[in-house]
Amino acid sequence: MASILEVSHVSKFFGGLAANSDVSFSVEEGAILGLIGPNGAGKTTLFNCITGFYPPSRGEVRFSGRRMNGLTPDRVCKLGMARTWQKVRPLAKMTVLDNVMVGALIHTNRLSVASAIAMEQLRYVGMDGRAPHLAGGLPIGERKKLEVARVLATRPRILLLDEVMGGLNPAESEEIIQLILEIKSRGITQIVIEHDMKAIMRISDRIVVLNSGEKLTEGLPREIGADERVITAYLGQAFDGH
Amino acid sequence: MRASSPRGLALVPLLALCAIAAVLVALPLTIDNPYALHVMILLFLTVVQGESWNVLGGYTGQYSVGHAAYFGLGAYVTLILLQSRQVPPWWGVWAAILLAVVVAIVIGSITFRLRGPYFVLASIAVAEIFRLVALNWGSMTSGAEGILVSDIPPLQVAGRTVTDFTSKVPFYYAGFALAVTTIVVNWGVKNSKLGYYFQAIREDQDAAHSLGIALPVYKNIALGISAFFTAWSGAFYGLYVGFIDPGTVLSVEVSVQFVLICIIGGIGTIAGPVLGALLLVPLSEALRANLLSDLLFKLGVVDEGTPTGIFLKDNLAHAHALIYGILVVLVILFMPDGVLGFARKLLARRRGQAPAAAPSAAKDSA
Repeated sequence: MASILEVSHVSKFFGGLAANSDVSFSVEEGAILGLIGPNGAGKTTLFNCITGFYPPSRGEVRFSGRRMNGLTPDRVCKLGMARTWQKVRPLAKMTVLDNVMVGALIHTNRLSVASAIAMEQLRYVGMDGRAPHLAGGLPIGERKKLEVARVLATRPRILLLDEVMGGLNPAESEEIIQLILEIKSRGITQIVIEHDMKAIMRISDRIVVLNSGEKLTEGLPREIGADERVITAYLGQAFDGH
Repeated sequence: MRASSPRGLALVPLLALCAIAAVLVALPLTIDNPYALHVMILLFLTVVQGESWNVLGGYTGQYSVGHAAYFGLGAYVTLILLQSRQVPPWWGVWAAILLAVVVAIVIGSITFRLRGPYFVLASIAVAEIFRLVALNWGSMTSGAEGILVSDIPPLQVAGRTVTDFTSKVPFYYAGFALAVTTIVVNWGVKNSKLGYYFQAIREDQDAAHSLGIALPVYKNIALGISAFFTAWSGAFYGLYVGFIDPGTVLSVEVSVQFVLICIIGGIGTIAGPVLGALLLVPLSEALRANLLSDLLFKLGVVDEGTPTGIFLKDNLAHAHALIYGILVVLVILFMPDGVLGFARKLLARRRGQAPAAAPSAAKDSA
């Protein structure tokens, strides 16, 4: 399979601090790539570099062969790459339907068309019953699903999900896992940042591990699960005793 | 914006609106009290000001406290063209509007890089630049002396004189038409893709950006629409009052007035600025005419002869700005969604149901 996204030697500096340094990986079309690493490893910064929120200081991002450096987030989204936010960003004083319509309006100028697309996406994530409610009043689980419905309405080819399971209870997480797998079955490529190891092992085709801004390793889920360096990065150096 | 009816008004409110419009059209035929017409014209002007600020501040959430720049530009260009080039105002106003929109987009392209309070400060600074230019560019603007409209040429269509602008009636109808146009445009914006994009920008700029909304483009569209009607209202004001100077059309007070109409009425709604105008214009007129102290005397709260009474009579008329300020503080403290939002909340409470637009939930996330 051809790779849809190629990240080559991407570095991002904030002053003297390297939030990402020399990160490279690629994602195959239709696959799910898990992106893991301890807090502060630079996962979200990497998302920001890929989606145009930060220009990478070095390196380049190619999306289906096209160089993405320097494109603004709205252009990135129009080209078919969409992202969700770790800290959800509902358009609080708009209804759930309106939130998703904003995403759908990227392809149409007509509200009726956008509304139909939006309802379809809301049904898909199981939130059509919430359509007339204000987004600001939703509980966290539904906010996360709303984020997903909203980006799906932009009809992305690749979706970057930033901790969509964060803060959810096991039942809600399971719903999201099923949703991610369904999105995969639609042929949409996904990069998933997640802290829940069990979940990430289950859904990912490949996993990239970041630590202190650098790529620690990359491989199949079972390889990552057995990798000493990954365990060390997460749990710290084994205590040697006396 | 309710999901179920993104377009189309219900029949009853539509009929009510038509009835109000009919009454307003017929009003000058039945009333020839010039002061009543004057207040109505001020009302129309204030509605236009509020609605035009609303497009940028209300829907898009970009709180400009510098709309005096576009208001003054509209007034100055129209009046300069009229007085020194003899350009009839109904042509001159288009030049003024065009210039204001172009200037707005240039300014917007620079200041929209800023967010939140920094944008507000920049907008104030820009308006001050315009005021200082008008004050010091004497050869063009007559500086602090201001511009006096000597006379407006009669409006002729096909050789027949429609009006010679000697009474208030032509201004009444011009103001009415302008107010209706602005409201209709606001409604159109709100119920279109633009309205959705503007509100998305207001709610969360980064989320909007990530959903494919080009922030500078849409902010500039909002500012352009806003400046269009603001300049128009400025031209209207200048022609109606017949005199402008930097203090009356370019000062910070003018900019603040634009914001106040919306804050008091209800930001981001179509009815809000109308309500704001309905409250502010009579209040300001009452203060000016010293009706407030008269009322206090009549109600027997204060005796006219006492020192307190004399003090109030002498000073209440000048306390215009003070009372304005107190009003704003009260509204912000007790009605954060403006009078309109407050009224809706009361209505919902009276019906004994949780409002569909659960305001408490909205507050949590704010």
